[in-house]
Amino acid sequence: METKKLATGAAPRKLSDYLTRARDKAPAHDGHGAGGAQSVREDNYRGHAIEIVTTYKILVDGRKIRAPLGVDDSGQVHCHSLPNYQTASAVDMVRALIDGFPEEFERKPVRAQSRPAASHKHRPAPVRKSRPAAKKGSKHEH
Amino acid sequence: MAVVRKNILQNADVRDQYIQGVQLLKNEASGRKTNEFGIPGAVRSVSTYDLFVIWHVTAMMLETPPGNPAGRNSAHRGPVFAPWHRVMLMLFEQNLQRVLNDANFGLPYWDWAEDGDLPPQQQGDAAIWGDDCMGGQGNPVTTGPFAFSQSDPSAFRVRISTNISGELRSVNRGLRRAFGVSADALPRTAHVANALALSSYDSPDWDADANSFRNRIEGWMNDDGVSATWLHNLVHVWVGGEMLLGSSPNDPVFFLNHCNIDRLWESWMSRNGRVYVPDMEAGADLKGHRIDDPISSPLGRGATPRETLDVSEIYEYDALL
Ligand SMILES: [Cu+2]
Repeated sequence: METKKLATGAAPRKLSDYLTRARDKAPAHDGHGAGGAQSVREDNYRGHAIEIVTTYKILVDGRKIRAPLGVDDSGQVHCHSLPNYQTASAVDMVRALIDGFPEEFERKPVRAQSRPAASHKHRPAPVRKSRPAAKKGSKHEH
Repeated sequence: MAVVRKNILQNADVRDQYIQGVQLLKNEASGRKTNEFGIPGAVRSVSTYDLFVIWHVTAMMLETPPGNPAGRNSAHRGPVFAPWHRVMLMLFEQNLQRVLNDANFGLPYWDWAEDGDLPPQQQGDAAIWGDDCMGGQGNPVTTGPFAFSQSDPSAFRVRISTNISGELRSVNRGLRRAFGVSADALPRTAHVANALALSSYDSPDWDADANSFRNRIEGWMNDDGVSATWLHNLVHVWVGGEMLLGSSPNDPVFFLNHCNIDRLWESWMSRNGRVYVPDMEAGADLKGHRIDDPISSPLGRGATPRETLDVSEIYEYDALL
């Protein structure tokens, strides 16, 4: 690579022109944005065609989260929004999502229309269903 | 003449220049607004520094080919990982040279394996996280040159991030780091040596399961050939905070990590020659990763993996491994 080529391409205007073009051309992320990401694994074994379709339904504090989780051929779970990470368990991936996107998991105070205005500072304890916590590793969907 | 890229911990002048350059690029308006990149919410000016954040997210969202089960994209999880980040770093370095008004400035690297050889509980206190270098951890980071200050609008702020779906969004907050939360310790020098001993740059199926140099340094597989968070990926995950996300260039340490990864690639080429696979015989499902395919960059057809193999005219490292 030559220096001259590089210097012209490095101008902020060049980079931003390229980026606006690239973002216009970017294909709509089926599934990713909608949280309906699907992994399809295919294999052939003794003349049989295997197809495994995996989708994740993840609830945190009872709320469905829109994270694009997938599973690769070796069974590792990855998530497009945490691009440098893979785990053997989807549970560990969700823990990392909670660390990586803390504001998306903030517990919103319950709307209390009939209460006095000052009550908005009060955060009621979140409702928890008495269900045993998932054991680590017990929820492998692969 | 080629600039020299140096170890940030051994060159205080370069370190100070790097910090200054980042701050200048962060406060330089690119002339573009958030809506021009499809970022929802109130329209805001985008800094030159943040163009690199947008670029990284955009490249990551571009699957090659769309919907491939390996999750390969135009910058990660495949052979183009090293060339794409090399181009990104060269363009970033050019911008640093411009704002620093110093054509001899070379991007420094962080040799994280030196810290990885320390006991895990000491790694977060290493010199790289000092007040005179990158600052420490926190939400927000409150020490060092990128510390958050609510009252100072020119203090370092994260302005563009991604949401949980991986889409760009506007934010206005301090930098975040959380050492050792999702991973216990940094990679060690022995792990680096083992990666350098691999003789193939990449190999079928050209994905996160390939037992190749690219896959090892990117960090999808450990020394035992088992899926793991390793080398480059482990550095991201160990630092945590911004570094976990697709918008990880928000943390200035991103470029120091990648500069070290680029140094490892250069070290590998010094052993194995300036070679790259796959070639153009490879099928269309590897489009974007073959040797003469254009890299997703403003350089268009002028930047292909082949074009990135010899950068001796542009920069060199003070020390290879
Ligand atoms: Cu990257």
